[in-house]
Amino acid sequence: MAADWIVFWVCAPISIGSAIAMLLQRNAVHAALFLIVNLFTVAVLYLVLGAPFLFAVQIIVYAGAIMVLFLFVIMLLGVDREERLVERLRGQRTAAILLGLGVVGEVVFAIRAGVGFSTRAPAGFGAANGGGNPQALGRLLFRAYFLPFEVTSILLMVAAVAAMVLARRRERPVASAERRAQEPIEPSEPSEPSEPREEEPVG
Amino acid sequence: MLRQVWLVPALPLAGFVVCLFAGTRLGRYAGWLASALVVASFGIGLGVFSDLVSLPDASRHVVRHLYEWIAVGGFRVAVDLRVDPLSMTMALVVTGVGAIIHVYSIGYMDGDPRYGRFFAYMNLFVFFMLTLVLAENFLLLYVGWEGVGLCSYLLIGFWHERPAAASAAKKAFVVTRIGDTFMLVGIALIFLRLGSLDFTAVLRIPCGPGQHCPPAITTDTGVSTVIALLLFAGAIGKSAQVPLHVWLPDAMEGPTPVSALIHAATMVTAGVYLVARTHVLFEVSGVALTVVLVVGLVTALYAATVALAQDDFKRVLAWSTISQLGFMFTALGLRAYWAAIFLLVTHAFYKALLFLSAGSVMHALDGETDLKKMGGLRRTMPITAVVCSIGALALAGIPPFAGFFSKDDVLAVANQSGHALAWLIALVAAFFSALYMARLVFLAFFGEERTERYAHEAPPVMTVPLGLLAVGAAFGGFLGANETRGLLQTFLAPVLGKVREPTQGLSGPALALISVGVAALAIAVGWLVYGSGRIDWVALRVRLSSLHRFLARGWYVDDAYAAVLVSPAKAGSAFLAYVVDARLVDGLVNASGQLVRWLASVGRRVQTGFVRNYALAILLGALVLLVYVGLRI
Amino acid sequence: MRTPIAYFLVVSAALFTIGSVGVLVRRNALVIFMSVELQLNAVNLALVAFSRMHGSLDGQVLAFFSMVVAAAEVVVGLAIIVSVYRRRRSADVDDVNLLKW
Repeated sequence: MAADWIVFWVCAPISIGSAIAMLLQRNAVHAALFLIVNLFTVAVLYLVLGAPFLFAVQIIVYAGAIMVLFLFVIMLLGVDREERLVERLRGQRTAAILLGLGVVGEVVFAIRAGVGFSTRAPAGFGAANGGGNPQALGRLLFRAYFLPFEVTSILLMVAAVAAMVLARRRERPVASAERRAQEPIEPSEPSEPSEPREEEPVG
Repeated sequence: MLRQVWLVPALPLAGFVVCLFAGTRLGRYAGWLASALVVASFGIGLGVFSDLVSLPDASRHVVRHLYEWIAVGGFRVAVDLRVDPLSMTMALVVTGVGAIIHVYSIGYMDGDPRYGRFFAYMNLFVFFMLTLVLAENFLLLYVGWEGVGLCSYLLIGFWHERPAAASAAKKAFVVTRIGDTFMLVGIALIFLRLGSLDFTAVLRIPCGPGQHCPPAITTDTGVSTVIALLLFAGAIGKSAQVPLHVWLPDAMEGPTPVSALIHAATMVTAGVYLVARTHVLFEVSGVALTVVLVVGLVTALYAATVALAQDDFKRVLAWSTISQLGFMFTALGLRAYWAAIFLLVTHAFYKALLFLSAGSVMHALDGETDLKKMGGLRRTMPITAVVCSIGALALAGIPPFAGFFSKDDVLAVANQSGHALAWLIALVAAFFSALYMARLVFLAFFGEERTERYAHEAPPVMTVPLGLLAVGAAFGGFLGANETRGLLQTFLAPVLGKVREPTQGLSGPALALISVGVAALAIAVGWLVYGSGRIDWVALRVRLSSLHRFLARGWYVDDAYAAVLVSPAKAGSAFLAYVVDARLVDGLVNASGQLVRWLASVGRRVQTGFVRNYALAILLGALVLLVYVGLRI
Repeated sequence: MRTPIAYFLVVSAALFTIGSVGVLVRRNALVIFMSVELQLNAVNLALVAFSRMHGSLDGQVLAFFSMVVAAAEVVVGLAIIVSVYRRRRSADVDDVNLLKW
């Protein structure tokens, strides 16, 4: 029994199962936790596929940073309230499931036509992974994919700035009115009773 | 002056333009201006006439080319004016009588709010009529033809606030249109079969020196018959012959000068002119002439009987005009074209005179036209009474007035050409003509006064024209006094052919005696019944009431038309308007609008506002694309 | 390696589908967002599987970039959800339905 066979058949069901579980959770925090499980299993699959660097990055960045961020926001906003089960839009669930099945069927069909279900992967990344996987990736990153690399770094910076701008608390007029409503009322001078305005004679 | 013949129609046209745009500012001067222009036109016409007679007989036909109008492929029509005896006779009558009537109108239409507009239309009419008679080709003639029809409509319906006037104008236009349409087909046929629209080419009129003339145009009887009958159809409409006569009595709703000018002297004679001008075509086809003769005789007799029963002063004259035109067509049908033209000229004088005196009476009696409400007017309106009597005597054919010579000519021709039946019918019609004129004069001017209004004589601006016309009516006959060698006959000979000496039938003097006798008898009868007071004509009318009604309603022809033609047409129009147009067509249009609205109301429900629906749509689209790509690969 | 590459691709497809259904069915904005992350993950898995099949590292590099961009996207997306939540006091996407007929 090859090692990858066992690992695959352990991790793949867990992966799919946790994904479905995430879908069915009413509580958002539970859903996030199931997603983390899914991310872990996918990372293991990366390892099986011979991408140890990505395995590490997936766990550190995806499961470690992104999902934590998610949990922060969920807890902060308190949106972990349970969702209602009743679907307001008619036919949405049916359509969604049908479409989903359609997509998966389509892809399976494509795989069968393209790759074929029996193709084995070649031996390894021996030729490509000269000096270890991170080194090879680094070589690719800083040579062939240098421009995307730099652009991505700018993208990250922009994202950070955008987040700061979007999440600012703005001074809202309602708030100032509320503030003014809480101030004590000053006694004001009684105003002159105004003359009843005379109507202009018509014509 | 011959070279300036274009001024003759141009001056009235200028008058039209000026009066149309500056009429209100000119005020009373509009009338004087318009009249002056027509007088000037007449003067120039005289100059042209004198130039014409200075030419030798054989070359008394001049064509003045003004400009190329249409030149498309083989179809070439120019604006050319023809100066020859026939056209100049007509032109002088139009401008002469027209000028007199213009001056009369200055007084008659005084105070009318649209005074300037009236004279604009009158001048426009004179322009179109001159175009008609001076035209050298059929298309230009047709322009004039239609133009006078238009002016007739405008002038009959001049007081368009009155529904009767508006509807009379419409009737005139529609009825003449029927004839005009046939005429247009005839003109088209002329071009198709005979190759040209110019009179020189089509009518075998001898050409002048230096002009290119095609050979004789046609001897084909069939084509000539069809063309002649089609043209005659137009003449029937315009000259109010049976069966298209129904518009003329109603046209009396217009102002009296209009009736005088258009419906007595000039426009209605356009048909006579047309047949005289194209008599060559009629002669090639014998059938056409017979048709003309029959129509003329029937109309002459029929209209004369109807005139007897009319109570309206102007309507008597209207039916009388129809009858007299019938006499003219009778003459044409008997190949006596010069007699028809002679009668046309004298008729212009005395009929215009009669109409204007009617206007004088109406002017005095505040618009009254009912003979039953007149009587004894000779005491208060002596001048009018005298001139009207002159006109009536002229019409009746009493020597030495004009009608005697002209009408007698027609009767003589009928007899001497062997058409005894035609002569008898014409004689009976002449009897009735004299009778109704006598009735008119006696009822209006003699006997007791049956009117409450205070009558007064017309102002000089109206009586002077009356006098001028009376002179013409009195002495105009001498123009053609001698049947074969009279002035008019010899003048018209180059165009209408020489007058042949009579070979059969009664002799000239005998015929004259018979016609005068008949006329005198009619006047005597008229005096007896209407003038002397010995017979109670009111009671007589009651006794013969059904006959009277039959005659008065024009033998119910108009009513027959209304029932058979007009009512179904109106019903059909109503159906088309309210059912087909309103329901079907509008329904279709509205339905298409409703369809769009329905589609939109259904289609907008796609925009639910829910993001998840939109996501579903995106996914669906992606799936479709996937399938498409998958199938392609 | 004994497992055929196709098996990994099927897993990827399944994860993608589950993510899509999640986007369509769930109403909580944050759960929807998490489903989108799941979809991205599925795609990364496919990329890496193909990279293994072809024996070159380009797929892995692409997956790497995809992760980076996903991180940036999460940041911005969460900021938006937070500001929407502050305004409307609800994270239910069905409540933002004003742009309708």
